[in-house]
Amino acid sequence: MRRISEHPIIRATDSADSGLQPEVVLSPRELAANLAWIVNLRWLAAAGVAVAVTVARWVLAIRLPVTQLYVIAAGLAAYNTVLWRITTSPRVQPSRPGLSATAIANLQISIDLFFLAGLLYFSGGVENPFVVYFVFHIVIASILLSRRATFFQTALASVIVLGLALIQIRADAPHYHLPGVVSEQEYLHPVFAYGTVFVVASTLFLTAYFATSITARLRQREAEIIGLSRSLEEKAADLSRANERLRVSERMKSEYMRRVAHELRSPLATVHQMIGLVLDGHKGEISQPARETLQRSRARVRLLMDVARDLLVLSRAREADLSRQVRDINLAEIVAALAPDLEARAQEAQVALSISVPPNLPAIAADNESIAQLVSNLATNAIKYTPAGGSVSISAQPRDGGIELSATDTGIGIPREELAHIFDEFFRAANARESGKEGTGLGLSIVKAICDSLGAELTVDSEPGRGTTFSVRFPLTRRR
Amino acid sequence: MEAKQARILVVEDDMDAADAAKTILEAEGYHVSTAESPAKAWEALRAQAPDLIVLDIMMPSGTEGFHFVWDLRNSEDQALRDIPIIVLSAIHEGTPLRFYPTEGDGTYAPGEYLPVQAFLDKPVEPKQLLSQIALVLKRAAPGT
Repeated sequence: MRRISEHPIIRATDSADSGLQPEVVLSPRELAANLAWIVNLRWLAAAGVAVAVTVARWVLAIRLPVTQLYVIAAGLAAYNTVLWRITTSPRVQPSRPGLSATAIANLQISIDLFFLAGLLYFSGGVENPFVVYFVFHIVIASILLSRRATFFQTALASVIVLGLALIQIRADAPHYHLPGVVSEQEYLHPVFAYGTVFVVASTLFLTAYFATSITARLRQREAEIIGLSRSLEEKAADLSRANERLRVSERMKSEYMRRVAHELRSPLATVHQMIGLVLDGHKGEISQPARETLQRSRARVRLLMDVARDLLVLSRAREADLSRQVRDINLAEIVAALAPDLEARAQEAQVALSISVPPNLPAIAADNESIAQLVSNLATNAIKYTPAGGSVSISAQPRDGGIELSATDTGIGIPREELAHIFDEFFRAANARESGKEGTGLGLSIVKAICDSLGAELTVDSEPGRGTTFSVRFPLTRRR
Repeated sequence: MEAKQARILVVEDDMDAADAAKTILEAEGYHVSTAESPAKAWEALRAQAPDLIVLDIMMPSGTEGFHFVWDLRNSEDQALRDIPIIVLSAIHEGTPLRFYPTEGDGTYAPGEYLPVQAFLDKPVEPKQLLSQIALVLKRAAPGT
């Protein structure tokens, strides 16, 4: 099994016959893994030879020099034992200099060719149909070796086959005839012998050509896939780094905002209080115009303090997951706690306020403070932008496997073209600014930040002059 | 003793805020002294123990007010240990910490429950400050 980390090596040289693409050869690590596979195949080959010889001799009654053949099979097994020890030894690393995995692979295949040659020599030479088994060596070579090395092995195999034929015809050495396969006249006939050599050699070369072509394409594709997956990994890592930087800078921004707001808020509170002292007569009598100016000053300071407060609340909502204690909360209890204050505001604005949040709604996962802030912002916003005589209703009901909280008013509404911006910081719709009502432009940003942190869905539906409905759909507490 | 003559120590590093508090409290008839740091506050405490402390939390070098509370509560001097404290701070806005006045069984969970009698967020309306002070003083002197 190849692991993705075992990248094939793209080699620019040795690409004479592979077209435009550089040849991809196996990495040493991969080659070593494949050599182990070849060792296993060779066990099978040795066993197969022993079985075949036995069957041929005693079942098919072909008179074979079984001793020599068994000796060669045993030699193959012994040789394989050595290779097996080498490939499984931890001391022989694929990347070890000297006898490289590539050299070992080349050598093995050559030795395997000679083993097959030996077996064939004692079992009829080129008259033995098993002479085509050289094809397997070529296929294996094309998988393991470079194209050039594969053709070298093919040439070597062809020479070996030719050698077998020459021995047969010229009788340089004793010939072991395979009786019953071909007649004596045939096997001694040069046309048969050389014809067989030609058929086998051409088969081997064609096999080498096709197999190396296919292997090259497969390796090329594998290299592309690995390159692709590597670049994907890099992209993912880049993305996660960028994300981390963003998170850090977001946190720093939040922290900065909080510090600035806090630094502003304390002196503003003091200014507010000192103006109050003058207005309350602690510093002596003041004229009516002075009083009015101070009152206006105090109102402006109050608004600035509200901005500072809302900035703090907003920054806290945005990094809420750090400090918040999320638990099962009951929406009705929170709304009930806010009700007196909201009713007082509604009364002052001469707006009819109706609150209907059933006490038996399922719990939602949140923290009291965030929900109170959210409800309070939506409700005070609705009351603020509803003219006297209008109405505001706060309600909640189960909806789509969650709880939907709605704040509906009969107020001034939000111009359609400005709807997209109402959650932006410091944004106030044109008609809200013209209404003469003070506002920080942060209330809805806070609502949005809280919804985001709680995984709640915030929607708005508004018609200028008719009214607005804000809806928040909270997911229910997950029960495990 | 008439409650309005109670002595109040205002611990506040912002001297403008301290002056404003002093003006409001003196207008109600309290005897007010101010300290701009916990060290100055200890000096004042040793000179004469007040009936109540109004304490800011955030001071120039951090949340010194917290340490002041714990140092006072762990003080050897019984008279100092039991002085009621009203925390007056904007810290509530800046931190996720929650403070609960210790009422009822009087057990403290350090870090979350601050052993103080009241907690007021800055800015506070004079009326609210005065009513809290009156309430805390009344509780601190049962039977009078």
